[in-house]
Amino acid sequence: MTVADVAPENTPESRGVFTPELLGRCISCGFCLPACPTYELTGVETSSPRGRINLMRALETGVLPDNDPTVHEEASFCLGCRACEPVCPAGVHYGELLEEWRDHLWNGRRRPWKVRPLLWAVDSPRRVRAMGIVRRHAGRASDAPGPVNLMLGCFERVLYPRVSRDARKLAPELAVPVAQGCCGALHAHNGELERGNELAKELGEALPGTIVTTSGGCGAHLAGVLGTERVKEFSQWWLAHEGPVPEATAAERRVDGRLRIGLQDSCHLRNGLGIWHEPRELIARVGDYVELPSAAACCGAAGSYAVVRPEESARVLEPHLDEIAAADLDVIAVVNAGCYRQLQQGVKRRKLRTRVVHIAELLAGENDRAAAT
Amino acid sequence: MAATATLTGLRARLEEVVGREHVRTDEGALVTFSTDATPLERGHPDAVVFPATAEEVAGVLRFANERGVPVVPRGSGTNLSAGTVPHRGGIVLVLTRMNRVKEVSDAELVAVCEPGVRTSELAQAAAAKGLLFPPDPGSQTTATVGGNVAECAGGLRALKYGVTRDYVLGVQAVLPTGEIIRSGGRLVKDVAGYDLRRLLCGSEGTLAVMTELTLRLVPAPEASGYGMAYFPDLASAARAVSRVLASGVLPVTLEFLDQVCIGAVEDYAQIGLDTSAGALLIFGQDGNPVVIERDLERMAQACTSEGATSVRIAESPEAASEVLHARRAALPALSRLEPLTLLEDATVPRSRIAEMVDFIQEVAQRHQLKIGTFGHAGDGNLHPTAVLDSADHGAVQRARAAFDEIFARAIELDGTITGEHGIGIAKLRYLERQLGADHTALLRRIKAAFDPNGILNPGKLGS
Repeated sequence: MTVADVAPENTPESRGVFTPELLGRCISCGFCLPACPTYELTGVETSSPRGRINLMRALETGVLPDNDPTVHEEASFCLGCRACEPVCPAGVHYGELLEEWRDHLWNGRRRPWKVRPLLWAVDSPRRVRAMGIVRRHAGRASDAPGPVNLMLGCFERVLYPRVSRDARKLAPELAVPVAQGCCGALHAHNGELERGNELAKELGEALPGTIVTTSGGCGAHLAGVLGTERVKEFSQWWLAHEGPVPEATAAERRVDGRLRIGLQDSCHLRNGLGIWHEPRELIARVGDYVELPSAAACCGAAGSYAVVRPEESARVLEPHLDEIAAADLDVIAVVNAGCYRQLQQGVKRRKLRTRVVHIAELLAGENDRAAAT
Repeated sequence: MAATATLTGLRARLEEVVGREHVRTDEGALVTFSTDATPLERGHPDAVVFPATAEEVAGVLRFANERGVPVVPRGSGTNLSAGTVPHRGGIVLVLTRMNRVKEVSDAELVAVCEPGVRTSELAQAAAAKGLLFPPDPGSQTTATVGGNVAECAGGLRALKYGVTRDYVLGVQAVLPTGEIIRSGGRLVKDVAGYDLRRLLCGSEGTLAVMTELTLRLVPAPEASGYGMAYFPDLASAARAVSRVLASGVLPVTLEFLDQVCIGAVEDYAQIGLDTSAGALLIFGQDGNPVVIERDLERMAQACTSEGATSVRIAESPEAASEVLHARRAALPALSRLEPLTLLEDATVPRSRIAEMVDFIQEVAQRHQLKIGTFGHAGDGNLHPTAVLDSADHGAVQRARAAFDEIFARAIELDGTITGEHGIGIAKLRYLERQLGADHTALLRRIKAAFDPNGILNPGKLGS
């Protein structure tokens, strides 16, 4: 350092945009740079976690104004994958800083226009329920909340209703009341922190007791509000629950040759909740697990990112598709609805033979279905 | 900041050299290139430029030299002495686009790469051919090879394998006046001319911009093994280190943590460290498994005979990883105690380590500071790390006074004010105290010979 020539820092007035303890944590070591997908794309410090924290600090002290175009661009360019957190020696909670940043910049009129209809759709539990009504998800109007409840998700119940059906098939003891809304993650990540937290609390009231979620992104946000004791991701819960894996079936499968199965981690599940081992262990029970080099890196779905910034989102996905093709996987497993959609579209675009399958579907027998085809 | 008149047309000229998309002058980008990993130091550049070739680097430098604009070369910005802080404005010249490993030859034991390759990437490319690039500074996953050569980075393996300078066979560099030169090459023996590649190694971006590096590699060791020992005080740990080295063992790892660090690591990581101990010594060896076993045994004996209260040799790779975890966790653990972490690298001869660490603790108490010291016991490279509240101006002043004393003491003990972080801006004022007036005057004449207009990283080494 340099205590030497340095006068104590002039601490200009803080504007109160960020929680001081969160913003003060970063020691600027730069260890986050190689972990950041947008730094890897650009090689420019400004598009790295450390660079963005410097932008936040400049915003906080008034060095940069609220309407600075670089500040806005970087708040939007960031995937919010939080891959910078596990590699941070100082323990910076970057995800929380990003939420505060977007809350300050986007709350009100300046939110990217593509996000608005998404937030509107999931803002009311009634609308979420209506969206799912035509799909055959696992929710039942007759179900009362139980000690352990399955969360349906908002977009998942519409796009991938079989995920909740298969989760229920595996664990019939899960209560799946249909009266449940959105977890609020989408709000929290898009500049409506307060509403995001409210929705999480409302969901916590609708589903008292343990909440099991099949989406890593929802899980991390819910756990951030309700606590990790109450919120469990499906593979984490299933493994702890000692779900009976039909060993005999697994043995039969070996005759036809086991499937080569990769995994796309959910960023917030891995970086936010530290869960990455569980899905791998479960996959290894039903097939040959193949660890792709970029398994832990963001696939570019990143919540609403794929909608807001489709070009960058597709560029982030490219190396994943290259690896899936090179490994000639039978199945790429996912643990989050956003990744499901992102990979499905990518695999289709590239005309790969690999099937994209949620881990609950895989465990419930997607493996057999795939082998049969 | 350079005068506005000088900067007229700066952006346009830079765009001509590197292309429009590789120049940044937006205020937000300038803010993010105004600092590196050094706390409290900040500059403000006028432009940031990302060249892709030596010719483009030469184009930027020729222009800057004509106009007298400062140029600060930068890799990933992990510098700890503010060497990449543009405190006089001008151009930040970022070399991360030049990131190709051009060659790794197992027949010749050399690697050729561009300066923007990350050190760990080079190490991986070497490992893929069964080779080792030994310098392993703590920042190796982020830091670039160019930056490591410019700073002559050290690392954990220095006692056995040496530092970056010992692995630089040749460089291609662009002089501040725009000429491209080469010094050294693939030869192990080459005495034609002054050894400029060695001069550039550790020149902290003040003499030339390196655009290609030819590096020496060694065969990768077959295996490695680790152990740890607790001592009642640092003096006995230091005696154990001397005894280890006198016993004919040259270990690859000899790291220590003082009592403050042990406590901080245990609070943070809860890995069952003995917080009552005065010092923790971590030792390791690499090479042939039989030799490793013999050397670990000898080191364990040396520790026991110097009064170690407990000694443990890791029986498995997992156990070894646990042992190393304590050392790796030292900085994260300390940095979480307070918002501001001041990491120094005063270095003393091995035989003076205990004396120096005791002095650091005495100074810390006198100035009411929390300073933990960890570091490389094998080479005397200490990392006294002060943690304080950046908003507490009194504490910052006291830390400043404390480090003044620590540097002075290091010099008295025939040590150095910096073992591996460099002079940068931070320690320039101590340099003459260590080297003397004649020596620093010579440094200035060398600087002037390379950079007559003083445009390259001005106000730092050689200024």
